[in-house]
Amino acid sequence: MKRWRGLHLEPVWWGLFSAGGVCFAVFIPAVALVFTVLAPLGVVELNDQQLQAWYGSWWGLMFTGAVICLPAFHAAHRIRHGLHDLKVGGGFWSVLICYGLAAIVSVFALWIWFNA
Amino acid sequence: MHKDIQIKRYLPEEHAEPFWQTFHVPYDDTTSILDALNYIKEELDPTVSFRWSCRMAICGSCGYMVNGIPKLGCKDFVRNYPSALHIEPLAHFTVERDLMVAMDEFLQHLEAVKPYLIAEQPEPTEPHKPHRQTPAQLAKYKQFANCINCGLCYAACPQFGLNPEFVGPGAIALAHRYNLDSRDHGKVERMPVLNTHNGVWSCTFVGFCSDVCPKGVDPAAAVNQGKVESAKSMLIQMFRGGA
Ligand code: SF4
Ligand code: FES
Repeated sequence: MKRWRGLHLEPVWWGLFSAGGVCFAVFIPAVALVFTVLAPLGVVELNDQQLQAWYGSWWGLMFTGAVICLPAFHAAHRIRHGLHDLKVGGGFWSVLICYGLAAIVSVFALWIWFNA
Repeated sequence: MHKDIQIKRYLPEEHAEPFWQTFHVPYDDTTSILDALNYIKEELDPTVSFRWSCRMAICGSCGYMVNGIPKLGCKDFVRNYPSALHIEPLAHFTVERDLMVAMDEFLQHLEAVKPYLIAEQPEPTEPHKPHRQTPAQLAKYKQFANCINCGLCYAACPQFGLNPEFVGPGAIALAHRYNLDSRDHGKVERMPVLNTHNGVWSCTFVGFCSDVCPKGVDPAAAVNQGKVESAKSMLIQMFRGGA
């Protein structure tokens, strides 16, 4: 069929990779700063109950997407292409293992959020 | 001042393997790598083979690896190499003889992306009018139009080294240049080539192509803007059915 001729999934992986890259650059440093520097120093006050309520809301879902799922696909894409550069694996198995792991991590993170 | 310059020789009729040969060459601050090679050919050993023509970074024929980095011989100077200086043929291409490589491997990819203006089909029936273009329309593609087809970016690209079927930075930059031209109607013909795995999607954004480009084309930007275009083109094909 002409509609599907020549199509492949690479743009999808690349889209997730790009989105994850933005998250890696913007959100992860912010999260690291807040949780590992500002909170222990007492610059920002975090209290458990507030955090839990916040995590249980839609903010928690966005947090899961931006700090776990998309960066996981970003990392998977990098690893897959890194393996290709090292001439290790390649083809279908690299795709399955790399994005498969990212998918498992994502589903697990979403499941935790859903049950929170 | 004199300098020992090592050249990787390959003379397939006489030696099965390439070998290094050292030449003692006089130079001053104005001696380009190409000048040094021409001195060697004229004064020391007429059998040394290499390509060149314009001496002014226009023809794109004097690409060599200088201390392992792709360079134009006429745009790079002996004075830039205070210690060792060794010159090899461009990486990733088939060596024909000494510093000469088979450029066909790049030119085939270039041809595949139709790097020329393609007219509207069917051609409009009214008499031909001049194609006007505003400075803003020109600015969109001008940078990518500076390519001189030297192939340095191919010698820099590890993905082209791994997979010679990869269309590669230079050809993709030129495809992008014509796709961005307001006078052109050939994008539908070029996108199927760029959409394949061997098109823009083989690029892993190493970016070395843009570092070595002697004309500031920034082929890496063209390839990565090409990914956005390719993603759009594939989406359109999926929804419309057919490109
Ligand atoms: S993009 Fe630059 S490096 Fe590549 S062929 Fe064109 S001028 Fe040479
Ligand atoms: S001789 Fe023409 S680009 Fe160097």
